[in-house]
Amino acid sequence: MRILRENLTAYAFLLPAIILIFLFGIFPVAFAFFVSLHRWRRFPDEYIGLANYVRALDDLTYVLFFWLALGAFAFALLQVRKLWLSRERGKGLSYLVPGLANGGAIFLFVNWLTILLPLILDIPNRIRGQERVQGLFISELFVSLRVPEATEAGNLFLLGAVAAALISFVWWRVVKGDEPGHLLSLATIAATFAIAGALTMQLTVTEIQLAVEAARESGEALPIWSQIILISLGALALAGAYLLWQRAVRQDGNRSFAIQALIALLLIGGGYLLIAEIPRALTNADPNVWQGLNVTAMFAIGTVPFQLGIGLLAAYLLFQNVKGKSFFRIVYFLPYIMPFVATAIVFNILFSHRPTSPANHLLNLFALPAQKWLLEPTGIIKLIFGAQVPDFLVGPGLALVVIMIYTTWTYIGYDAVVFLAGLGSIPGELYEAARIDGASEWGLFRHITLPLLSPTTFFLTLIAIIGTFRAFTQIWIMRNPANQTAVDTLGVNIFETVRATDPNMGYGSAMSFVLFGVILLLTLFQNRFMGSRVNYG
Amino acid sequence: MADAARPIDLTGRQTAAQRRPIRWGRILIYALLILGLIQAVFPFLWMLSASFMSLAEVTFGYLLPSELRFQNYVSAWEQANFSQFMWNSIRITIITLIGQMLVCIPAAYAFARMKFFGRNVLFGIMLSTLMIPEVATFIPNYLTVIWIGRLSDNLIGLPWLNNWPALTIPFMASAFTIFLLRQFFVQLPDELWDAARIDGAGHVRYLTSVVIPLSKAPIMTSITFAFIGAWNALLWPLMVTQTDAWRPVAVGLTKFVSTDAPNELHLQMAAGVMMIIPILIMYFFTQRQFTEGIASSGLKG
Repeated sequence: MRILRENLTAYAFLLPAIILIFLFGIFPVAFAFFVSLHRWRRFPDEYIGLANYVRALDDLTYVLFFWLALGAFAFALLQVRKLWLSRERGKGLSYLVPGLANGGAIFLFVNWLTILLPLILDIPNRIRGQERVQGLFISELFVSLRVPEATEAGNLFLLGAVAAALISFVWWRVVKGDEPGHLLSLATIAATFAIAGALTMQLTVTEIQLAVEAARESGEALPIWSQIILISLGALALAGAYLLWQRAVRQDGNRSFAIQALIALLLIGGGYLLIAEIPRALTNADPNVWQGLNVTAMFAIGTVPFQLGIGLLAAYLLFQNVKGKSFFRIVYFLPYIMPFVATAIVFNILFSHRPTSPANHLLNLFALPAQKWLLEPTGIIKLIFGAQVPDFLVGPGLALVVIMIYTTWTYIGYDAVVFLAGLGSIPGELYEAARIDGASEWGLFRHITLPLLSPTTFFLTLIAIIGTFRAFTQIWIMRNPANQTAVDTLGVNIFETVRATDPNMGYGSAMSFVLFGVILLLTLFQNRFMGSRVNYG
Repeated sequence: MADAARPIDLTGRQTAAQRRPIRWGRILIYALLILGLIQAVFPFLWMLSASFMSLAEVTFGYLLPSELRFQNYVSAWEQANFSQFMWNSIRITIITLIGQMLVCIPAAYAFARMKFFGRNVLFGIMLSTLMIPEVATFIPNYLTVIWIGRLSDNLIGLPWLNNWPALTIPFMASAFTIFLLRQFFVQLPDELWDAARIDGAGHVRYLTSVVIPLSKAPIMTSITFAFIGAWNALLWPLMVTQTDAWRPVAVGLTKFVSTDAPNELHLQMAAGVMMIIPILIMYFFTQRQFTEGIASSGLKG
């Protein structure tokens, strides 16, 4: 009884937060995917499968969705493996039964929602023009709920939910095991991902068949399957090279040489396959998407290392018992908290194209020619070395460089403050011991500070990279008709698509889903590759 | 060892000689730190200086104005319609702050102090939303807000678009604030709760009369974060406002710079200074809690 009361109070405390976080934090991800599968300009229209993605990424879409399905299967298998490794194997695996029931119930819920959502979302459209009566909306809502297909799906979901709850209860009470809650959630996650993977795979395969069929009718061959196989092989070769490289570090002598030769072979082969096939798969892709991703990547490469490096230097200097440390900290932090809108317009003027702008005054001091800064979309490497630089090496446009300088400027203080806290958590005895052993300042920094600071560095790198993919305000303020192609990140492209006089929600959602996928992939990558090198002391 | 063997001489010269290598290092450290200081404040100082210049002085890239033209501020305030935008921003910020505290304090308390079914799962899900970027969610959220807005307009006559609910309610549950407050609530000693229970207090009573008064510092920190977030937001307000009635100052300034007065750089600077001032005041009052909040959340994240 007391436990029940505690549970109820806790949920009463949490209810507003849960509702809002679900509605505006989690649901939108699924909703964006739903919207992206439809022709959806201002209002919902028919289901069009992956067409929005194909418009953005051409044939690469099929490859990516194929991998997405495989990834879901792999994740499900990982959970099954955890069940298998639990103390009592048979019992652990038997939890797959309630897991499947729960997964099925979740799937039925999603099914109900996908039938209901277009009906509900259409209500404002349906009641437009009618007299504004209180309760009209609610009555329309009930009408939508009572549409035959919706009621059928709803009943199916209720049935599934009850069955799943019953089966779960049986396993919880009768089968037990050491941690029924943990086992149950593992099995549910496994089943949900397996079902999601199967659905994605089905969607992908039907879409591929449709596309191939359409191409055949117009007399062309669409080599989607061979593209999937070749690109997958290329990626697998690169992954294999990485795994071998990790092994080779531990080997020595002749075997090491053989492994290195194999790595080189895999790298060349995989790289060749990817370089040859990906552009072919992307021939009809939206150039804006490609350009946007390219700009975003350059933006990340051009800001993250600099802001982290300078931030670490500032933190290290502040850590040397300087006088007025808190004053320095306060001032360093200013650019980070000030409104981006206000500081970006200052940089707009500091780096304006006029020959008399402050930035050009500075160049004059060093007897360098004045630049057009924010009006200059030409790559900086081309600007420095002249016109003979090949196209893929021109580097970020000068306008983008200004935005990079601005972004670095805003984040240095934040990085410094977090690094400073990280430095403070390193035990001082380590330094004393190393000093007694005669270590130099540089040696201390290299062998104590940097390794023990690695969790902070890891955290900041992650935040910084995600930050560059999120960046919007400064680019929105500093872009202009002359530099657009050089500075528009994918985020800005998405916003443009949705804010245009003729908005395209479906296409915008597809692009934002791609962007979200890229960020997720980077996060996973970073966890995998940097996580293994992080020293948690 | 060699130093110790020397006869001790208490004249100033000797000590100076001993410390010289260290002192050079110190000078370098301060030089670098001051360089950092200059790069951090120069844009602000130039902005302030340019806000007093004439247009010609700004375009010629002068460092200082020939005279202090306070008139710039008056013109910028009037031309940018700042009395409207400032008032909007203040209203939006206050509503967001109150709502966020009402939603997040109980939630953080529940995560920190209560045992309930699914606590860890819910907490994990909540934290994972921090990783979802705004660009991935603003389109569906916009559609949701349109729909809920129609519903609420029809039911209680309160539209969401071009009105305060669309600008504030989606930000009332902040996973970051809940996390920050929970970290503090967890550290409160258990004896306090035991004592309160003996006195017959329940969770609500304990939260309002013991936990909140003890948590002024972290609450202040989260208020500062929410204030800055609400004041600086641009993408979402651009989406959900079509009229000036509820547009915040960030949108107002953007509009002023891009369409109203694209060539009056001195007025742009004056308007920018006016937008910064409230944040500056807020920051200098709470900077201590603020930087510590950043630092601790950074380490724990």
